[in-house]
Amino acid sequence: MRRFVNWSGSLSFTPREHAEPTDEDAVRDLVVRAREAGRTIRPVGSGHSSSPLARTDDILLSVDRLAGVIDEDHDRARVRAGTKLKTLGEGLYDAGLAMDNLGDVDYQSIAGATATGTHGTGLGFGNLCTQVTGVRLVTGTGDVLDISADDNADLLPAARLSLGALGVVTQVTLDVQPHYELRRRAWCAHVEWTLDHLAELQHTNRNMDFYWYPRSDQTQIRTLNRVDGGADERVWAAPRVPDSGPWGAPHEIRSGPSHRTIPQERDLRFEEIEYMLPSEAFPACFAEVRARIMQRHRKVAGWRVLVRSIAADDIWLSNAYGRPTTTIACLQNTSLPYEDYFRDMEAVFRQYGGRPHWGKKHWLTARDLRPLYPRWDDFQAARHRLDPDGVFLSPDLARLLEDT
Amino acid sequence: MPDVGACLWVVPGGHIPFPSNGPEPEFTGFDQICVLNATDRRADVELHLYYEDAEPVGPYALPVDARRVRHVRVNDLIDPEAVRLDRPYGALLRSPVPVVVQFLRQDTRLPGVVALAATMAYPA
Repeated sequence: MRRFVNWSGSLSFTPREHAEPTDEDAVRDLVVRAREAGRTIRPVGSGHSSSPLARTDDILLSVDRLAGVIDEDHDRARVRAGTKLKTLGEGLYDAGLAMDNLGDVDYQSIAGATATGTHGTGLGFGNLCTQVTGVRLVTGTGDVLDISADDNADLLPAARLSLGALGVVTQVTLDVQPHYELRRRAWCAHVEWTLDHLAELQHTNRNMDFYWYPRSDQTQIRTLNRVDGGADERVWAAPRVPDSGPWGAPHEIRSGPSHRTIPQERDLRFEEIEYMLPSEAFPACFAEVRARIMQRHRKVAGWRVLVRSIAADDIWLSNAYGRPTTTIACLQNTSLPYEDYFRDMEAVFRQYGGRPHWGKKHWLTARDLRPLYPRWDDFQAARHRLDPDGVFLSPDLARLLEDT
Repeated sequence: MPDVGACLWVVPGGHIPFPSNGPEPEFTGFDQICVLNATDRRADVELHLYYEDAEPVGPYALPVDARRVRHVRVNDLIDPEAVRLDRPYGALLRSPVPVVVQFLRQDTRLPGVVALAATMAYPA
């Protein structure tokens, strides 16, 4: 038996069976066999999540070998579930295409990233799952189901972000666009300057986020903008700050195709808690996070806090459902204690209506989560319909989804 | 320029002051390590930190280009691990070329008072 360890190292378990099907028929066989035997399957992508979505002592189904771009045209691409974002970016680029946005790293699988609410930043950009227009999955009854605006459309808002609770996703169809070039820039500024200029920074840059460093009370601002002459109606045509100022001009990190410019290399492993807040609550929430870290956690909270933005969407379990969203993420070295720090931050985030990132550390259960998602019951109805026997309902999933 | 310094330096008295008082980052309490590389070769300095109650942590990579200085706040180190504030530590620096190492501390624990301390590291 092989032990599974996630990217950060804080989640490890030994499944009774580790399956790596190479085609959809093999997935169906596994599901049918599990259902008949009353066993449980959890699908896993690249293992980047640190929440126990994939944890199981029964069958762990890796989609690693279901990889590759199946076909594409000028505005859509059909890809296998286990395709890594990095590989996907290169494949799309070779075809003259690109995704509309990406997250901060690109080693997740496309199915894992979209199923857990992975996101990038930008007022005009939703979670990655908003780029999903179709999902093909093997349900808990072993049936293969295509879900899109044309097929089983009523299930689409559930299937675009499903935590692997509706079935094993084998393919996703993505809304894509002609490839484009971006320039990444960064500069440091005091946190008060960054907060004072946040709206300008967010509206006049295609993508903008910032790190706040509790050890110095400074920030690093990061922006991405088109450099290929392409226009983007989501960005205000206004001068960007700072043209000049006390902080000096932004320095260029790199320019190039979007899939090589948006994601960053991450060798240093860390634990992370991230909450999605209604954007109007961000200023007060961030002020309290900042004060509490400085007062209670500064001795051990040595690293940084990341602030990003996400556009609202209509996906039932999306943590940006129905509201423009600003996110706050606290990062901590894996070798340092994190739980007291993260739990205290979670208490603050919850006061401001925050929803946890599905793939990162949090301590919420179905009872806490249900009031946060207006279409929660609709998702559960879809889940009971597609997985009536709970083939995908591990004890960890039950804690998240079953309001007992 | 002749090679100046040593390849192994020791700072036994590390302890980042906590808490800080006054506007930051100007008045943040910090420990700082200053490295002068007067040689014509890049110094890939490696730092290890030693504690009272735990195994050493490192290496922290502190590359210093030829004919350059580098001032690093210990507070800002995060790779492989952030250094906890208000915790005694000692530092060992190894360099493949001779360098000179100085240690600085800014202590703002007392409101309205800035205490500065500077000492040469010990060339082992």
